[in-house]
Amino acid sequence: MTVLAGIGFTAPWVLLGLLTLPILWLILRAVPPAPIRRLFPAVTLLLGLKDDESVSDRTPWWLMLLRMLAAAAIIIGLAGPVLNPSRDETGTGPLLLVLDASWAGATRWSSTLDQIDVQLSEAGRAGRTVAILRLTEPETPVFQAAEAWRGRLPGLTPTPWQPTETQIDQALAALDQLDGGFDTHWFSDRVAYGGHDRILAAVQARGAVTVYQSKAPVVAILPAAYQDGVIQLTAQRAVPGPADRITVLAQGRDPAGAMRVLQSAEMEFPGGETLAQVNLALPSELRARITRFEIQGQRSAGAVTLTDDSLRRREVALIAGALNREGLELLSPLHYLTQVLKPTADFVEGGLLEVLPANPDVIVLADVAKLSDGEQAALVEWVEQGGLLLRFAGPRMAASDMGRDAEDTLLPVRLRSGGRSVGGAMSWGEAKGLAPFPENSPFYGLQVPDDVTVTTQVMAQPDPNLADRVIASLSDGTPLVTRKALGLGQVVLFHVTADAEWSSLPLSGLFVEMLDRLAVASAAKSRQEAQLQGTTWEPIQVMDGFGTLSDAGNLGGVEGTELLAGAIGPDLQPGLYESGKQKLALNVLSEDTVLNPLTWPSDVPIKGQEVTNEKPIGGMLLSLALLLLTVDVIASLALSGRLGLAKAAAVALGAVLLVPDVQAQTPEETEFALNATQELVLAHVLTGNAQVDDVARAGMRGLSQTLFYRTSVEPIEPIGVDLERDELAFFPLLYWPITPDQPQPSVEAYAKLNAYLRSGGMILFDTRDADVARFGAASPNGRKLQQLAGPLNIPSLEPVPRDHVLTRAFYLLQDFPGRYAGTEVWVEAAPLDAEQIEGMPFRNLNDNVTPVVIGGNDWASAWAVDRNGQALLPVGRGYAGERQRELANRFGVNLVMHVLTGNYKSDQVHVPALLDRLGQ
Amino acid sequence: MNAALTLRERSEAEASRLPPLLARAEHLAGTVLLGDHGRRRSGLGDDFWQYRPAQIGDSRRMIDHRRSARGDQQFVREREWQIAQSVMLWVDQGASMQFASDKSLPTKADRARLLGLSTAILLVRGGERVGLTGTTLPPRRGNAQVIRLAQAWSEDSDTDYTPPEHRAMIPHARAVFISDFLGPLDEVELALTKAADRGVRGVLLQVLDPGEETFPYRGRTIFESVGGSVRHETLKAGDLRDRYLERLAKRKDALTQLCRATGWQLGLHHTGDSAQAALLWLYRALDGGTR
Repeated sequence: MTVLAGIGFTAPWVLLGLLTLPILWLILRAVPPAPIRRLFPAVTLLLGLKDDESVSDRTPWWLMLLRMLAAAAIIIGLAGPVLNPSRDETGTGPLLLVLDASWAGATRWSSTLDQIDVQLSEAGRAGRTVAILRLTEPETPVFQAAEAWRGRLPGLTPTPWQPTETQIDQALAALDQLDGGFDTHWFSDRVAYGGHDRILAAVQARGAVTVYQSKAPVVAILPAAYQDGVIQLTAQRAVPGPADRITVLAQGRDPAGAMRVLQSAEMEFPGGETLAQVNLALPSELRARITRFEIQGQRSAGAVTLTDDSLRRREVALIAGALNREGLELLSPLHYLTQVLKPTADFVEGGLLEVLPANPDVIVLADVAKLSDGEQAALVEWVEQGGLLLRFAGPRMAASDMGRDAEDTLLPVRLRSGGRSVGGAMSWGEAKGLAPFPENSPFYGLQVPDDVTVTTQVMAQPDPNLADRVIASLSDGTPLVTRKALGLGQVVLFHVTADAEWSSLPLSGLFVEMLDRLAVASAAKSRQEAQLQGTTWEPIQVMDGFGTLSDAGNLGGVEGTELLAGAIGPDLQPGLYESGKQKLALNVLSEDTVLNPLTWPSDVPIKGQEVTNEKPIGGMLLSLALLLLTVDVIASLALSGRLGLAKAAAVALGAVLLVPDVQAQTPEETEFALNATQELVLAHVLTGNAQVDDVARAGMRGLSQTLFYRTSVEPIEPIGVDLERDELAFFPLLYWPITPDQPQPSVEAYAKLNAYLRSGGMILFDTRDADVARFGAASPNGRKLQQLAGPLNIPSLEPVPRDHVLTRAFYLLQDFPGRYAGTEVWVEAAPLDAEQIEGMPFRNLNDNVTPVVIGGNDWASAWAVDRNGQALLPVGRGYAGERQRELANRFGVNLVMHVLTGNYKSDQVHVPALLDRLGQ
Repeated sequence: MNAALTLRERSEAEASRLPPLLARAEHLAGTVLLGDHGRRRSGLGDDFWQYRPAQIGDSRRMIDHRRSARGDQQFVREREWQIAQSVMLWVDQGASMQFASDKSLPTKADRARLLGLSTAILLVRGGERVGLTGTTLPPRRGNAQVIRLAQAWSEDSDTDYTPPEHRAMIPHARAVFISDFLGPLDEVELALTKAADRGVRGVLLQVLDPGEETFPYRGRTIFESVGGSVRHETLKAGDLRDRYLERLAKRKDALTQLCRATGWQLGLHHTGDSAQAALLWLYRALDGGTR
């Protein structure tokens, strides 16, 4: 590559073409532009006029310059200019690229890939063959042409683990298989791992080694720990540096189920330190939702820590000594406990032996004195497995003799007989308050309110170990809450009742906080080897090197002990594991991981990863030339007065380029909406049968006219509605005549219809066959109606009852004839509890408008009028027929009134009762 | 078969062109007619003009008894002078008139016919007789004549620069010549002198396109007349502009001189301007002439 003035050229000889530019200039100068033919009637006046000069109009200099620039751009563009040409002395011979490719480099992975790309293109220019060795997934390197590697670069991804010893061994074995010498470029992630010196020695033996590593810090987060009601988060950086701040995001599902950031916290690395800590105090409801913590701005598996069971809602079994006081809920000994625990815990219902197999986190025994031997043994076993037994005292416990002589296994202390009562009417002392919590108490730090008093309590026998077990005491020093460890679990005793009979503690906020502290302690089950012994854990989701969770697919199960050992590698990928109902999060970093910076011997040159990329600009120059030539075309046209044509072309081009916004409502839709909403419009469903549609339209027109003349409802010309195409929401009433051959509406149309019915629309189904059939499946129309209405959301129906509001919405009607006075008409059934009040003519039916009215009386034919307002079809015979038509019209009016006013008329039945109450 | 079809097609197209021209002309004439009637002097006619006191020499039967009975003085009822004039029109049908320098502008021929027909309508309404110069359509009165005029003007000629028709001019009639007058000037001169010889006076209306007034052309250009009979090539159209404008002014001067010599009036109208102004001028020019 030849470099001229900072720009490299791949084909510098093409630049000689620039010498032709002056010649081109002269040629372009000499050639006059082509003449234009113009019609001009006044040419007679021009005849005989001679031009002053024999030279034609020259092309203007700026147009010439434009053309010269275009030509120059083409020539330079073809010469292959390259910006920032890399001037590294490239070596010769094969080149090995060694990648750590662990999570630690995942955040900068794209820049690493960019640099590899640069190296590959350099190697390609130098004709070197290249091989790539990933230490986290070692394969035997194969030296290939550099270009062959470039296409495979996107397939290289970092892994969520560091190179393990086995992988180092594999890599060494792979290196041994290579023949001859080669140079090595090592892309390091800057975090130390065992065995990198062995690899270094192996590659140094073959040739020069250059290390590329970024100066950006590697930050990772340790698994979250839960202690004393707060989440302790610790972040670690590999290289101690100046003070730095990072932000940790707690992510989880919000109540709607969407992943979002629930909380964020800032952490600060003090200068020179590698650890940063922050305590997150979160409401337990929020805490239970957190699924992962991650460091903002980092995109690596190490910057993510998953949470598991320890944050899920705790399962609590509440068992009271006496539950026979049914109905007196405020007096239930469990009432306050239920109120406190409800927001954060799930309750396990049942007796003691029934809940134990469910393995709850906490079992609460409120004033339970006597346990059977079997219950006792099972409970002890459960506590020893890590359960928290929370006991409350009470009259029964005080009266029993449990824990008198010897310490009960399930009581933290021995109890004195009878307990004591202070502050009552028959006692000397005053009610006692609480003493501040001692420092070793889990309640330490909680504020003790003054108004918490204890009047009665069970007393602990003084014992040598009593002092250790008291975690809360009264102001006179007597124990209030005692605790003892039992196996992996613990037993906690409140020396008062769980209700407010003995103390006001359950009424105070302190009670909530105390329970919270205790329950948190119960949730933080540590993973013990004994607990995981013999279990098999199945991966559900695994993390990739970038910290993204994906489905685990077919990965095999993992032994519990192996999981605990936590040697992350290709066989044990970080992620979420499940065994039975338990879930376990395996994170990249464990609590005791320490990140160390990778150290290189001083003879290995280390380069930063930040490089300027070579940038070929030939394409840009050629585009510029094209642009200039386009400008030249337009300018030439403008000069010669032919721009009119060019304008048209440009407009056409612009029209093609600027495709109009297709989301805009089409004019037809707008027009339809305008027509349907400027006034009230009655609508009928188009069936596809022209005759039926015409009659339906005429019927709607007749009904509209009737309404116009008789009521204040003034509809305009009705509209035929295509269910597939048109919006239905504009119409209060849809008349749907049934024909046996009409098409079934599409799924979308049904969705629209259902939305229409839900939002208060009404459909009047008319089978139009009351002369030959009764309502049902007996006629083809009836069968079709059943098909059509099947997917509709129609409530249960009943024939119009005599007190339905349709019978009195405007006119008083008994029956609803159309052209036929046949079958009954069906509407939504009245609720079952509608009762007729004594002395009232109607039931109270203040519900919605019936969404459907179904009948077969062919109303549209009775309503139908022509343009002149003359009845279109005959109804009945003579005067009786006209009467029937009149009744049909009245039914129509009642129907529209019912749709528009709802059950307003039904409300009127209350008027006598209201008047009566007002003393009128 | 084919020829008949095309003939019919063409004739239909021609027929369809007539009503719009007529309608537009009627419309245009309607804007001028308002409030401007008659000869505005007493004379022979049907319409009432004024009452004047009876003078010596008035015959007794001229006294208007209805008016005179109101007082002691005797009045004579005068009628407005209404007399029919013959106005002969000539509108240039040559191909050179089929020109518009811009799509938004009407062609000169279109504007000329519109003005001619509007004038004819106005004149017919005023009771005058209207016709074409030459023998094809002698002056007559009535609306039918307007339609005949419209028909006569709906045909285009292919030849450039048709000379004014000056045959069969009725002595002492009025005449209106509408053209761009870019053709040979001696033909115009001949027509006008001949008209003046017969005592015919009238109006020349020169209709020009704005492009012909401004000559906005540049660069190497071949100018061609619409009929294709004349062409002129130039290498630098921009340089010709001043000399062209000079020649145009000379042409106008010559026309003015000619009019002055013959007692005609010369008007100039550009197709870019409103037709109404031109019609107004035309009507006034004719009106003033009759007084």
